[in-house]
Amino acid sequence: MFDFLIHGFGVALTPLNLGLAFLGALLGTIFGSLPGIGPINGIAILMPLAYTLGLPAESALILLASVYTGAEYGGRMSSILLNVPGDAGAVMTTLDGHPLAKKGLAGPALGLSAVSSFVGATIAIIGLTLFAPLLAQVAIMFGPAEFFALMIFAFSSMAVMMGKDPIKTGIGAVLGVMVAMVGVDSGTGVLRYTFGMAELYDGIDFVVMIIGLFAISEILLMLEHANRKDVDDEMPPLGRVMVSMKELMYCKWTMLRCGLIGFIVGVLPGTGASVGGAVSYTTEKRISDTDGSFGTGNMRGLAAPEAANNASAAGSFVPMLTLGIPGSGTTAVLLGALMLYNITPGPMLFSERPEVAGGLIASLYIGNIMLLALNLPLAGLFARVLTIPRWVLVPGIAILAFVGVFQLHSDLTAIYLMLIIGVLGYLLRKLGFSLAPIILGYVLGGLMEDNLRRALAISGGDLGVLWQSGISLGLWVAAAALLILPWLVPKLLSGRTRQNNAG
Amino acid sequence: MRIAADRLLGFALIGLAAFAAIHAWQLQIPFSYEPVGPKAFPIALSIILALLASVLIFRPGENGHWPNKALALKLIKVLGVLVVYASLFTQLGFIVTTFFAVLALSRLFGATWKKALITSFLMVLCSYLLFTQALGISLPDGYWLSDFI
Repeated sequence: MFDFLIHGFGVALTPLNLGLAFLGALLGTIFGSLPGIGPINGIAILMPLAYTLGLPAESALILLASVYTGAEYGGRMSSILLNVPGDAGAVMTTLDGHPLAKKGLAGPALGLSAVSSFVGATIAIIGLTLFAPLLAQVAIMFGPAEFFALMIFAFSSMAVMMGKDPIKTGIGAVLGVMVAMVGVDSGTGVLRYTFGMAELYDGIDFVVMIIGLFAISEILLMLEHANRKDVDDEMPPLGRVMVSMKELMYCKWTMLRCGLIGFIVGVLPGTGASVGGAVSYTTEKRISDTDGSFGTGNMRGLAAPEAANNASAAGSFVPMLTLGIPGSGTTAVLLGALMLYNITPGPMLFSERPEVAGGLIASLYIGNIMLLALNLPLAGLFARVLTIPRWVLVPGIAILAFVGVFQLHSDLTAIYLMLIIGVLGYLLRKLGFSLAPIILGYVLGGLMEDNLRRALAISGGDLGVLWQSGISLGLWVAAAALLILPWLVPKLLSGRTRQNNAG
Repeated sequence: MRIAADRLLGFALIGLAAFAAIHAWQLQIPFSYEPVGPKAFPIALSIILALLASVLIFRPGENGHWPNKALALKLIKVLGVLVVYASLFTQLGFIVTTFFAVLALSRLFGATWKKALITSFLMVLCSYLLFTQALGISLPDGYWLSDFI
């Protein structure tokens, strides 16, 4: 059963792949540390370069995946030191991390968060090793109708879990799917939404889309943050980055609990590290905040989101590798990267391309140990990264974005398209949209239409086929429940308390 | 103001949905045995988009702070730099355009002239070496030199 893992370690331990895992871990931590450049931006910027290097699929995936996990480690740096989350997954880390740094405990806070990240990620990688092959076996039974229902489920779970504005999450997802419609229709060869432009026949290129949406819009957003006054620009003294046995023992259950929560949230399609961090922090607060010290610099309040966001990151590989449905925005980008190599992840990945699935999982184990080794002694060095001024950072991102897109086809149209997408992305972010649903919709859109049409072609146009099987019916019910319950439950509860008050 | 922005967005999205639906409706489809065809999915999406957008019009949500005038001007300048960078990228070549683009961007993000000049010089040098030597990407040389000589 674990043949794929043994095979995978064989792949991951080759010098090239070890080197790439290390490079990815290093770059990922740096990208994660820089405020504003999260895992997606890091991967978006590196992906075209990895592609031009001519790396084999599993090596490219190892590089990009270790950037992802590294960024989840790095995200804590600016959260703790500057009160600015380095990426979306590290938002909750600021709540107790920054107060700790203000108390002069920046060193221990960095140390503890590195260990929590390690524990969380380890739990989730073990979970991934155990559950992914099992889930793949179930997923083999999936036909087009089941996949279509699964994608509907992914979108509804995202709409609910992303929290603040389900309508905007929904709109974002639909917009993403619509972008995926551009180009030649694979079924009939009809051109859709190309407006006679030959550059659009193959659709809007994946690299152009993510670099525009993330990197360019981030440049525009950074202009704004440059003028903000509500963040601490002064870095607190680091001290020695060490964590004592006592602190570890104090937090051990927190780390285990939150690692598990993070993993489960990560496995749910559509929900990633930011949701994992938020859910685990509120849970941990309920369980162990007896003296109301959460939010004022409680070690457990720091360990909880850090264990969880790393666990979610690893957990979100489960649906991506086994079902081809990304568990987060970042895995959506990784999925797109795999598609560039003509690999469509899904249940057959473990049997047909064991070097890709196994190599990735094995390299996650290795990368995680590397990351702990990098992040404990070198935290001070990474903290220096935070002092890189924006006037160096922004031109750097711009160059990487331009060259990355230009070298695709040596074509300026792609660059203009990237800039247009960037401006639209900026406007949407200002309007309160998050980008993850858009990218998820864009990556899944084509698959969704294909599966729908294939299902209906088999049934001869009868819509009933979509919910005929037990699996797809279950997924539809689950999706509907996810959408209705958050709206229904508070009403029922308030109804009950009113009755109690009356009685 | 905020609410107005969401309403405006709602109307714009309904417009987009209508446009997408009409475009899909007018597609000329060769005969095929497939029952669904390329029209149905985009039209269904347009309907969903229009429904969600009308919710936005009736119940507008919150959104972020909009930039003030000074910031908006700066945003336009940054975009202008990027567009000019793109339009001259192949004509003048990577080295020249990147130098001036970095110079302009770092000035816009608050560097002094001296710092900006040093940054652009170093960044052009490092990125050129990285792309051409380490990654083997061919960059546009520009045709200004050959014309000049």
